[in-house]
Amino acid sequence: MAQPLTTASVPTDIYGGDEVSALVLDAGYCQTRAGFAGEDVPKSVLPSSYGSIKDTNAASGSRNVFGDDFIYARPDFEVKNYMSRTESVVEDWDTAVQVWEAMLLDRLQPERRQTQPSKNGLNDGADGEGDVSMEDAAISAENAENAEKPLAESPLLMTEAPWNQGKAREKAIEIAMENWGCPAFWLSRTPVCAAFAAGKASALVVDVGGANTSVTAVHDGMILKRSIQKSHVGGIWLSNQIRSMFDSSDPKIEVKPSYMVESKVPVDAGAPSQAILRKFGYDLHPSYRAYEDERLLTEYKESVVEVWRGPGRYSNPGNEDLVKTQPGRIFEMPDGSNQMWREQRFRVSEGMWDETAQLPTTSEEDRITKAQTVPELIRACLNAVDVDLRPNLLGNIVVTGGTSLLNGFNDRLNNELMAMYPGMRVKLHAAGLTTERRFGAWIGGSILASLGTFHQMWISKKEYDENGAGIVEKRCK
Amino acid sequence: MSQSGATVSQECITAFNDLKLNKKYKYIVYKLSDDNREIVVEEASDDKDWENFRSKLVNATTKSKSGSVGKGPRYAVYDFEYNLASGEGARNKITFIAWSPDDAGVMAKMVYASSKEALKRSLNGIATELQANDQDDVEYDTVLKLVSKGLAG
Repeated sequence: MAQPLTTASVPTDIYGGDEVSALVLDAGYCQTRAGFAGEDVPKSVLPSSYGSIKDTNAASGSRNVFGDDFIYARPDFEVKNYMSRTESVVEDWDTAVQVWEAMLLDRLQPERRQTQPSKNGLNDGADGEGDVSMEDAAISAENAENAEKPLAESPLLMTEAPWNQGKAREKAIEIAMENWGCPAFWLSRTPVCAAFAAGKASALVVDVGGANTSVTAVHDGMILKRSIQKSHVGGIWLSNQIRSMFDSSDPKIEVKPSYMVESKVPVDAGAPSQAILRKFGYDLHPSYRAYEDERLLTEYKESVVEVWRGPGRYSNPGNEDLVKTQPGRIFEMPDGSNQMWREQRFRVSEGMWDETAQLPTTSEEDRITKAQTVPELIRACLNAVDVDLRPNLLGNIVVTGGTSLLNGFNDRLNNELMAMYPGMRVKLHAAGLTTERRFGAWIGGSILASLGTFHQMWISKKEYDENGAGIVEKRCK
Repeated sequence: MSQSGATVSQECITAFNDLKLNKKYKYIVYKLSDDNREIVVEEASDDKDWENFRSKLVNATTKSKSGSVGKGPRYAVYDFEYNLASGEGARNKITFIAWSPDDAGVMAKMVYASSKEALKRSLNGIATELQANDQDDVEYDTVLKLVSKGLAG
């Protein structure tokens, strides 16, 4: 990458005066996405889960590693997440800073990370992972006192959940300004980004994500706070439904992620696996197993699970018989066992729409009530807004989030809404490109931050210095 | 202020006042300048044929950053006139239309949606607002029903 130019010397004729060095960061429970403003997709997408390795040399007794390529089976290793599953907001700020630095600096612009030769990863011994340990972070913090702050030339736009609290918003700007020395900062609400990216200033945004599904009314570019609805009926909930279905299968299907498999042999459909399993000379932390299980279940979700399109519920008489006559999908587990899935692939997703159809769950927290199903979230959201706004919102529903990519999801949502609001005009808008659906909010933020005119919107370092962190509440409404 | 930071050129307001006060125009089509910095008047016309106006929107284009030309969003103000079904005479409603076709590029859609507030707030006297995303949304009958709240004859 070429030497970054100061804003004044950026050749305006090339980019139409648009900001080229701004960074965009979008943190979710399952993934954190970071990249350069103006690009179509985030350059760095890492799991929000990270690895914590026991290390007696480190002050805290452990060091952290980030990115799925560093999460593998090893002793004294635990997988944690810095986000809160129930809220999809930051829970562990100390680690959040580390994860974000690993992305914004190490992954996006390694040349900006000023490290000593002994610590830059090139001279590491047997380990050779180039991990950023706590110790390194401490040293770079020391360096930062003397040297230029790491992001002194990069305005930063972050997205946030619509229910994000004032304290967390202030914390975000503090990190950007104090730790990284960003010249400018902005917070955008994810539903607003998604609505804008669909070309709508007013919309009902249905965001079906990994940990949560939320429904938010956006009017003239502002979220209507009272309208926000959320429930945990998202990707992880769906994984647990699949688990429950596997458990009750006969014979019971065990989830064995690929790390457990030494070698596999092809077997007939439905036959037991004859794979040789790997043996580990140490105990693996259950959190690592859970992380790997989730990855396997995600693959199953993407390739097998389907949503009953309707009209009407899947449990209505005749539907299951119809499905049984249709071709199913074959899924092969990493251990070689495989089978055809037909009616089960509809059953696991039906709970999203019909709470009586959900499969038994192991934990009580995972159960959803009627009010937490997708159609009821939308009803509650609409009931919380002015009656005059409802027709326009129903005609402008924006569907986003990775879990909305389930086959049949939009058809079912459309059918449910038509049945719920007969005679009203219901229109769904969902981006056709999967990347636009998975990274909807990031893409919206990327475009905003890349606009030449947006420089007057940013909260500048000077404003922050004069007003303190409270400025974010006043400016980013 | 819009959320994108784009501004509204004075000619937008002048043209609108000509439409509102002097009845000089039937409609005005607005667009963002090529550098996305400012909202400007693309066309102001006294042509009373809705279909001509509609085809202006439907055929509007925007140049993307890479230089390719695709479908483009627009803003428009239309002095909509209709007769009441009750026979109480004609009504005029100045209607604001945010046209953003679903098949336009994501960049153009984002810029127009996030800049809309700036224009709408500069124009005083808009009776109805309409968000249109596909060609059906700008059919005469659809708009008539919405603008008249079903009271047109």
